[in-house]
Amino acid sequence: MNTVWLSSNLSWIAELTFAHLWLTVVPTALGLVLALPLGWWAHQVPRLYGFIVGSSGLFYTVPSLAFFVLLPGIIGTRILDPLNVVIALTVYTIALMVRVVADGLASIPPETVQAAEAMGYRAFQRFVLVQLPVAVPVILGGLRVAVVSNISIVTMAAIIGVQQLGSLFTQGYSLGLMTPIVTGIVLCLAIAVVLDLLILWASRALTPWRPKEVAA
Amino acid sequence: MSGLVEFFADPANWSGSTGIPMRVWYHLMYSLIALGIALVIAVPLGIYVGHTGRGEASVAGIANSLRALPTLGLLIVVVMLAAPLFSSSLVFTAPAILVLVLLAVPPILTGTYTGIQSADRSAVDAARGMGYKPSQVLLHVQLPCALPLIISGIRGAMLQIVSTATVAAYVSLNGLGRYIIDGRANSDFGQMAAGAALVALVALALELAFLLIGRLVVSPGLRRSVRRTRMPGAVEPAA
Amino acid sequence: MIVFDHVSKTYPDGTMAVEDLSFTAPNGKITVLVGPSGCGKTTSMRMINRLIDPTSGTITLDGQPTAGIDKVELRRKIGYVIQNAGLFPHRTVVDNVAALPRLLGERKQDARDRARQLLNLVGLDESFARKYPWQLSGGQQQRVGVARALATDPPFLLMDEPFSAVDPIVRAQLQDEFLKLQETIGKTIVMVTHDIDEALILGDQIAVLRQGGRLAQIASPEELLRAPADRFVADFVGTSRGYRSLGFIHADEQLTVRHTPAAPLGSSAAALPPGSDGWLVAVDEQARPLGWIHRERIGEVVTAEAVDHAGSIAAEDAPLRDLLDAALSSPSGDGIVAGADGGYLGTVGTSDIVAAIQRSKRGRARPADEEAGDRA
Repeated sequence: MNTVWLSSNLSWIAELTFAHLWLTVVPTALGLVLALPLGWWAHQVPRLYGFIVGSSGLFYTVPSLAFFVLLPGIIGTRILDPLNVVIALTVYTIALMVRVVADGLASIPPETVQAAEAMGYRAFQRFVLVQLPVAVPVILGGLRVAVVSNISIVTMAAIIGVQQLGSLFTQGYSLGLMTPIVTGIVLCLAIAVVLDLLILWASRALTPWRPKEVAA
Repeated sequence: MSGLVEFFADPANWSGSTGIPMRVWYHLMYSLIALGIALVIAVPLGIYVGHTGRGEASVAGIANSLRALPTLGLLIVVVMLAAPLFSSSLVFTAPAILVLVLLAVPPILTGTYTGIQSADRSAVDAARGMGYKPSQVLLHVQLPCALPLIISGIRGAMLQIVSTATVAAYVSLNGLGRYIIDGRANSDFGQMAAGAALVALVALALELAFLLIGRLVVSPGLRRSVRRTRMPGAVEPAA
Repeated sequence: MIVFDHVSKTYPDGTMAVEDLSFTAPNGKITVLVGPSGCGKTTSMRMINRLIDPTSGTITLDGQPTAGIDKVELRRKIGYVIQNAGLFPHRTVVDNVAALPRLLGERKQDARDRARQLLNLVGLDESFARKYPWQLSGGQQQRVGVARALATDPPFLLMDEPFSAVDPIVRAQLQDEFLKLQETIGKTIVMVTHDIDEALILGDQIAVLRQGGRLAQIASPEELLRAPADRFVADFVGTSRGYRSLGFIHADEQLTVRHTPAAPLGSSAAALPPGSDGWLVAVDEQARPLGWIHRERIGEVVTAEAVDHAGSIAAEDAPLRDLLDAALSSPSGDGIVAGADGGYLGTVGTSDIVAAIQRSKRGRARPADEEAGDRA
């Protein structure tokens, strides 16, 4: 470990960490919010399930580096604009979460939803008061996967010059220094653990009704 | 966008060692080599874990933590550490392929063992009851039932590889990623966009190819159940 | 009153689920729709609260066509109980029951108080209120389902295979309690089941549907057994129709009850009444019948070990079927009859019961519910 490099770059590292958090959390949250109606739609209209899940999944196929590079040409942003990263990750999150939300809604016992319908819950009341709360474990389980992979994907943006923890990798490579790279990896993993635990905690807090032994 | 069109219109970009056909070839070749090695490692291991149930927790744990590991960082670390060990012609290629394999193993492994485990228990029981040997149960019941998830795991691995192979251009691996890296170095946005578009096309083409393979090799009797079976982590995010 | 008037349901692919269905579900009564799978019974029921809309025909609730009522408003007037209860897993039992009143804006405390009363009514005590559905057995969940359906005190109740998902013993218990509950709440109920025995037990009237959703017969349980409209109904109602129909017929006043001597436990053999040839009826301290006992098996005193329990014991107000069963299962050939208080009343002979059956066949039989108070 090169402590000299480390101590002289502490504030930069803190900036990068903050930027990384920001670039991860915002698109993840945005993607979740947008995936909810899409997933509901895919669940509600079974004929559209394949189309919605399949076509959103196709975005997932596009490698992130290619996505970052192509976006400016499509939406007219500058190549260095962090907005490209936010949009690309939002799209990835939607692609992952649409299927999760649809499958989460499908995992609810049909008689539960039917009971709500027959009791006179309107469609929106059903979604907010019954389906969503019951699907929380599945949806947040998917969100844990999404947030952890998003943390890794964000680092790619260093190649096109968007500053975040990935910049430590390119910096280390060009300087031939291992310290920045290891620091970056450790911080990425730390963020992943923290965000993962936060979602897990939220999932438990939102589902006091689940049998304890399976509430993992 | 005009730069992109110019790039594709220029005949010089369609021939030679830096031409599009050659780069597509390299990208595909490295990807397929890595996929092949990953298959040889992950499928037998996945069958073993799925069939015996041994080591499941550690396999799942390793697969999950690999997902959190930033691929770019991993790539650079491995290249920096391994470069001195290889002769000059392989100095960048071998470490990069090593990383590709490393990233491709978890999805295939997860797909294989969850696939084998999710094979209908009553079908497995019935086969045993009919006098199938364990190896026959595996070959005739569990593996065919596991195919949708195995293929889905391989598909995830393939995407991961194609994506990471693009990034690996940063550590000098030949392939389509070079257009993006070189274009960035020369502020040639047309070249970057062309590289990105080609990578996206290759990825989409492979995705469709896998969908087709799935259609051909998976028994129609199993297709309905694919949606119902959730498999955490088998399809890895593009990186 | 729920009235089906020439109701049909055709699906876009041409499948006829229900064809020209007309019947009336009278107020305060249980109407059971029964039939083989694919006969459209569930579709018919779900058209009442418009979970499915009819293709043609009208359904009216107390004279008001359902087509003219907003779906949501309509459903809130109709309680709904389904197989597996369909409880909300994320709500406690009491909040499951209070869900709809809360949705309609009732105060939380009021809704919960009322929910607790309803839980009591369906036989679940206070300790269940704070539990979550997964902590309940299937039978308990079903009780919560019934309580939830009653939460807004709707005049109508629809029940879709309500007791099918529980084991036979719990089912019998739930059916029994449900009939008692219905006596106090008097809802207008339409129930769907595939189980003809359940239909015969619970239904005030039974509509048998055949494949393609056509009405084969609608009648009281007793009439269905006595006079099935055609071969299909007869086959569906099943075997032992004659025997099962006795479950709806009561003995007339001419049935002789013999006074076979009783042998109280603990009494000495010498104290037993003379004259009776072999079999006596063993009774306990409260003079309740225990079973048959033979003089030869009595030593010094009458003991519990010597009692033969093979013969069933019929209540005095039981239908002919129970009396006949008591006689057929008895080692002596006669059936033991117990009074309303459980005390020993006397015995009836097989031939006397058969005679009573023949008299009832000649036209003196009356439906069970009109004769509930009569004596055997």
